[in-house]
Amino acid sequence: MSKFLKRLPAKLWMIVCAAITLAFFANDFGLVDLQETALVLAAGIDRDGEEFSLTAQIAVPKGTDRTTGGTSSVEIEGRGATIPECLSDIYARTGWVPKLVFCDLLVLGETATRGDVFDCLDYFLRNEYIPDACLLAACAGSAKELISSASAIDDTSALALLNLFSEAAQKSGQVVPCTLREFAIGYFGESRSGYMPYVRAQAQEGSEQGAGGQGAAQNAEQGQQAQKVYSARETALFSGGALTGVLTSEETFAFSLLLEKVYAGAVTADDKTYVILKNKGGAELVKGGVPGLALRVECKVQIAGEHKAAPPDELAAGELSEEEEVRLSQTLEEHIRSLWQACSEADCDLFFFRRSLRRASRELFAKWKELPLSELDVRVHARAKSLR
Amino acid sequence: MTLRPRQILFFLAAVAPVGKLVLLPAQLAGIAGNDLWMPALAHLLFQAALIFCVLLLARRERTVLSLIRACAGGGCAASFAVLYALFLLFCAFLPIVEQKVMVRSIFYDTIPAHLVFAPFFLFSAYLACRPLPALGRIWDILTPVSVVCLIGLFLLSAGSCDFGALAPAGAAGKAGFFAGTAAAFSRFSDAAFLLPLVGRFRYERGFAAKGVLCYLAGGGVLLLFLAVFYGVFGEIAPLQSLAFARVGAFFPARGVVGRIDYLFAFGLAFVMAFYAVLPVHGAVGLVCEAFGERKLLAPLLSAGVNAALFAAVYLLNFYTVTVVSLFSGTLFWVFPVFGALVPLLLALLLGRRRDRGGRRAE
Repeated sequence: MSKFLKRLPAKLWMIVCAAITLAFFANDFGLVDLQETALVLAAGIDRDGEEFSLTAQIAVPKGTDRTTGGTSSVEIEGRGATIPECLSDIYARTGWVPKLVFCDLLVLGETATRGDVFDCLDYFLRNEYIPDACLLAACAGSAKELISSASAIDDTSALALLNLFSEAAQKSGQVVPCTLREFAIGYFGESRSGYMPYVRAQAQEGSEQGAGGQGAAQNAEQGQQAQKVYSARETALFSGGALTGVLTSEETFAFSLLLEKVYAGAVTADDKTYVILKNKGGAELVKGGVPGLALRVECKVQIAGEHKAAPPDELAAGELSEEEEVRLSQTLEEHIRSLWQACSEADCDLFFFRRSLRRASRELFAKWKELPLSELDVRVHARAKSLR
Repeated sequence: MTLRPRQILFFLAAVAPVGKLVLLPAQLAGIAGNDLWMPALAHLLFQAALIFCVLLLARRERTVLSLIRACAGGGCAASFAVLYALFLLFCAFLPIVEQKVMVRSIFYDTIPAHLVFAPFFLFSAYLACRPLPALGRIWDILTPVSVVCLIGLFLLSAGSCDFGALAPAGAAGKAGFFAGTAAAFSRFSDAAFLLPLVGRFRYERGFAAKGVLCYLAGGGVLLLFLAVFYGVFGEIAPLQSLAFARVGAFFPARGVVGRIDYLFAFGLAFVMAFYAVLPVHGAVGLVCEAFGERKLLAPLLSAGVNAALFAAVYLLNFYTVTVVSLFSGTLFWVFPVFGALVPLLLALLLGRRRDRGGRRAE
């Protein structure tokens, strides 16, 4: 007993320390006061003269029963000379502390992308509480309108937009997402270039008349606002932080192939659709004389569909003839050339030629860093082979 | 003999490298760019040599103070203990400030109250007055935690890492290398941390070489981490001040499983908390040994020292950048003078096992 009492103070001290250590690692036990906090799911940024306007899509609980449960959102706009001032404006208007830790998407409106976008993106890089894995997108028109639009597929437009950038969408080759980290590395590097998906919203046909069921109910709730579907098949090109060009959907697909991201993505040539089952590609620096780039794509493909009826044995095989292989290779080469043309016109070093040059040799970089992209010797090679 | 030799090896291999993962990577990236690993390599080699010397000193199987006492008298030993304890507290200050910055940024997702870090000092006060076997057992526990968490972070960051960003080597030039080396002195004092442990464990044949190998193995992991860190962030690496909590955030399944990298980051933060307390423990231990009283003096001293550190950390709460630049800039010379020169001199003067007459030294 006396031994126990002797050791008691030390044990109590140890228990106090353990409890305190637990508190030290506890992060307020993860409690978030929803009455005081705005969970920002996505933000849209527009420029209005010298001012910025930030539209935050804030998650609000919709209800608790099975019919009304789920996530709904409200859009609040804040204005100011800088992004933090916009957020303070939102705080002042709503009394909610904007919490950006769940912000997975930043949409830049047309006005914001006319100048150097890092005068508004710098805040997101500086702030330790905003994830650098947050996705970026540019959009046609105003970001506020896009963020505030009623999606035909989800109650919250941000979630519908994020669906466009899913892993599966990337593998289809139709979209090339870009995180804040990737964009910032490109911007602050030697190439000073970058890209991000370019989003367009289109009115869903028939939505104004009011679709049945849930859609009709939503329309009623949203004051008959036309429901939208979104497309991010185009890619915005940036040079020096400003938008300088937009890649078409074919060029975006070619870019995906060069990034080796396509798996089970489809490409159409001569009324036949081919599915890409193995994709190798890349952009390599070519040294010697005037340095250049070699853009190479190799893929294994299968016929996925064609514009005519075919006998069962052909359907079962899905193989390409040699002629079809050549024709598809040519089509891919055309897309890649067109992609390069768009990049050089936009002065966007999309394949980080200057960065590769610096990594290859300091002498080469010093000599050729000012070389215009249009004067580069670019070799394009695309080879599509049938899966046999 | 209170520590087991393997516990020292565990500390060198798995705990010491973790203490350098908070602000150092971004700071080195800001100074030396893609050559950030070079100053770190220079320090690792230098520290490995110093650790070899300190561990050779341990062959005498007597504490540093008893060796000084035998050689230069009790007064000299007591003065050395007080001075060296002050140096160890000086070494402890920057890791504690780093811990505070890390806790406020990583454990919380909006800016928390300033006092959230205060409990650390209670934890430190408790640990710093514990006897050495407690420290050894902690290293036994921390080693697997550190290994698993580092492996986890490396795996999660592998997909987003571009090692090409480290090319071309030498781009920062000599100026970048020397500036980076000077700035990193404040984070590499591992040999100095070992000095109070000399004579507290049984020296085995070849232990100094084993210690160096373990330290270099841990150092290799640190270099790999720096390479991965720069590979993930490239040009924006200087902005990523809390490196270990950032590198694992970009794995593809993040959208599905969430930030599981935080599990590993929390594990490493746990290891770091003990690393930050080690110099405080050393300082308390040295003074207690010098004045021959442990039972009462150790808790009082530990409480006093931690109260002083608490006051200093919170008085300088809004001067974190100044503190970091003071330690890694203006006052960087303090670290090589006390952290390198003193262990080296002690090893040279007191490290011989036998005197010239061939008799075993006292």
